[in-house]
Amino acid sequence: MKRIGTALAAILMIGSGLVSASAATLRVGIQDDPDALDPALSGTYTGRFVFAALCDKLVDISPDLKIVPQLAEAWDWAADGKSVTFTLRKNVTFHDGTAFDAAAVKFNIERMKTMPDSKRKAELAPIVSVEALAADKVKFNLSEPFVPLLANLSDRAGMMVSPKAATEKAGDFAAAPVCAGPYQFVERKSRDLIRLKKYPGYWNAGTVGYDEVVYYYVPDSTVRLSRVRAGDLELAERVAPTDLKTVRDDPNLTLHSGQGLAVSHLMFNVGAGAKADTPLGKNAALRQAFELAIDRNVINRVAFNGEFLADNQMIPPSSPFYDSAHKAPTRDVAKAKALIAAAGMTRVPVELSYENSAGDARVAQIIQSMAAEAGFDVKLLPMETTTAIERYLNGNFEAYIGNWSGRADPDPTLVAFFSCAGSQNVNKYCNKDLDAILTQARGEADEAKRKALYAKATDTYLTALSSIPLYHPNWFFAARKSVGGIVMVPDGLLRLVGVKPAN
Amino acid sequence: MSTIEATPVPAPMRAGRRSEIRRLLREPSAVIGGTIIMFFVVLAVFAPWIGPYDPNTPDWMAIRAAPNAAHWFGTDDLGRDVLSRVIFGTQASLAAGLVSVTVAVLIGLPFGLIAGYFGGAADMVISRVADALLACPFLVLAIALAAFLGPSLQNAMIAIGISAIPVFVRVSRAETLVVRTEDYIAAARAQGLGHFAILTGQVLPNVLAPTIVQATLTMAIAVLAEASLAFLGLGQLPPAPSWGAMLDVARQFLSEAPWMAFWPGLAIIALVVGFNLIGDGLNSALNPRQ
Repeated sequence: MKRIGTALAAILMIGSGLVSASAATLRVGIQDDPDALDPALSGTYTGRFVFAALCDKLVDISPDLKIVPQLAEAWDWAADGKSVTFTLRKNVTFHDGTAFDAAAVKFNIERMKTMPDSKRKAELAPIVSVEALAADKVKFNLSEPFVPLLANLSDRAGMMVSPKAATEKAGDFAAAPVCAGPYQFVERKSRDLIRLKKYPGYWNAGTVGYDEVVYYYVPDSTVRLSRVRAGDLELAERVAPTDLKTVRDDPNLTLHSGQGLAVSHLMFNVGAGAKADTPLGKNAALRQAFELAIDRNVINRVAFNGEFLADNQMIPPSSPFYDSAHKAPTRDVAKAKALIAAAGMTRVPVELSYENSAGDARVAQIIQSMAAEAGFDVKLLPMETTTAIERYLNGNFEAYIGNWSGRADPDPTLVAFFSCAGSQNVNKYCNKDLDAILTQARGEADEAKRKALYAKATDTYLTALSSIPLYHPNWFFAARKSVGGIVMVPDGLLRLVGVKPAN
Repeated sequence: MSTIEATPVPAPMRAGRRSEIRRLLREPSAVIGGTIIMFFVVLAVFAPWIGPYDPNTPDWMAIRAAPNAAHWFGTDDLGRDVLSRVIFGTQASLAAGLVSVTVAVLIGLPFGLIAGYFGGAADMVISRVADALLACPFLVLAIALAAFLGPSLQNAMIAIGISAIPVFVRVSRAETLVVRTEDYIAAARAQGLGHFAILTGQVLPNVLAPTIVQATLTMAIAVLAEASLAFLGLGQLPPAPSWGAMLDVARQFLSEAPWMAFWPGLAIIALVVGFNLIGDGLNSALNPRQ
């Protein structure tokens, strides 16, 4: 009898051991299979999502979009704004055991600036040279005052990889990245999963709550959610707004939501080739009429169950540089009609192109219906992704629903879309005065003065309306109640420091 | 998705048209199929009078409303009346079926006649091209063509039509091969009739019956193909209603608004079954062996 009791106890112990072993694995469903797992090469959101567990950065951003220390404990701008000196955290090691120091920082910045297919070159362009002043002091010399640099360093450009591994593995580095984050790389099965395990030597090891993290590639948002509901995953990123009720109604799940940086906007071709030669492309008053003809709140309510944020600016309200003085105008069909009449027209034709996704298709049809009441004949042109991107980049559209992921700092967004040579300025809007304001703002270290400059920029682009911002998507993660410590940050990346099994 | 198979139909004797229609009316499947098709034709033609609402006008206050007294079939994700959209969607589906099959017959039939009648090099070239087209699955070919041509109902019809051509080449060629050995062809030749006169006057009428049967069956496939293309965003441009596109949108709301998927789905099934039944009926009526 006693022996049976012992055996039972042993079985129970093994059983509970198995349970606790599986409980210490965090399984996360992600929408896309990430591209190269090398911070210098990565170009996808899900890549950044995985990096958040794998690679620490010099600095991080907080939920209120302030720059906070990570691998750098402090930083000092020179009085002329042309250099910044970082004080590095001590006793930090990479996953291969090598030390993180000023030489490693210098190596990383130079690697990202010189690697042939590095995608970080533009983000680090203002850095002329890097000086290792001491083991824990590193100085970046800049070609011009460039305040947004810190925001850039809070993303992939600031991720530090092991110089030893990067040198030895060279081109194969992305196959098994070695960084200094809370979790280290174990394996990757293409189009299936990425497995990480806890890095015991992490500088902040006490905050690492799981033994293992596995990212599963599950492209369909509904499937991701049902796998979380079934207990097959602990967390799903980007749950569809139309599925949120399901998450809220499920007693085993928690909905984690937060404001994002992204913006969806209606771009008008004002200067790119033949398609700019339209009434709306030539006349800012007609674009204002178009803005007055649509109701952003209806778009948000009908297309996204009211779960997003209807707004008229490229910079989201979560940013300290959001300009609350420029409110979205309320819908005014009569005024829109008056503006159209003043332009000597009654019906204004326009062709609206968009990528044929569920959300954009709905937004396009809502816009078409509302704008028709004011006198706009909107012809819809849905396109599959490749064609849509190609036409977008070539400015081959009259109007286009653009989706921009946003950045922590206003500079990259506004420069990309509104400066004459901006990388996303595919509709070719150009205003030299605005260019001057944007250049001045990126060199202004004083936050209040910088904010005033961005208010001026906002006023300028909202008058020209080469682009009509429509809404900011919010982030929605569905997690099982067993996962504790999730903090939503506007960049939509899941930081795993502090995330642990809840009791 | 199904592929088109050439249905072998033996050449009928040239009998009186009246007896063929009488035979057709004695086929229950033809009568049921015909009734279904007639029902949809009436819906399509009289849609503006039958449809209770404008199919493209949204109602922001009735998003995904369940079926009720005002909206018998409910409303969709933009608050548009599903009943009206199903009724108006009939136009796209029927047009796709009729136009694309007409295109396929008008191109496929002459080539089949030429291949079968002349044989030799002409047959060799035409048959190999048809084989090459047939080697590619019907729907895959249609999707590729539609993607190449760009999204619109017209392009979808062209894509489906081109994809269906080889079937008609095959059917008409096979029939022509049988017919051309008949005594009356030899008689026509002996009378000194030219090739063109023989092809149109003697061969064509005897090849027509199996072609009509094949055309009816192909319409069912064309309707499905149009729905598939629209489902993939390669058909009718929004906001104009199309059953396939309605299903695509409805897919996102299957659990909370099943009516969005149910009615267009049912309509597709009914129309496809209708064409299949009438095709079977025609086959039986025009096939003297049965």
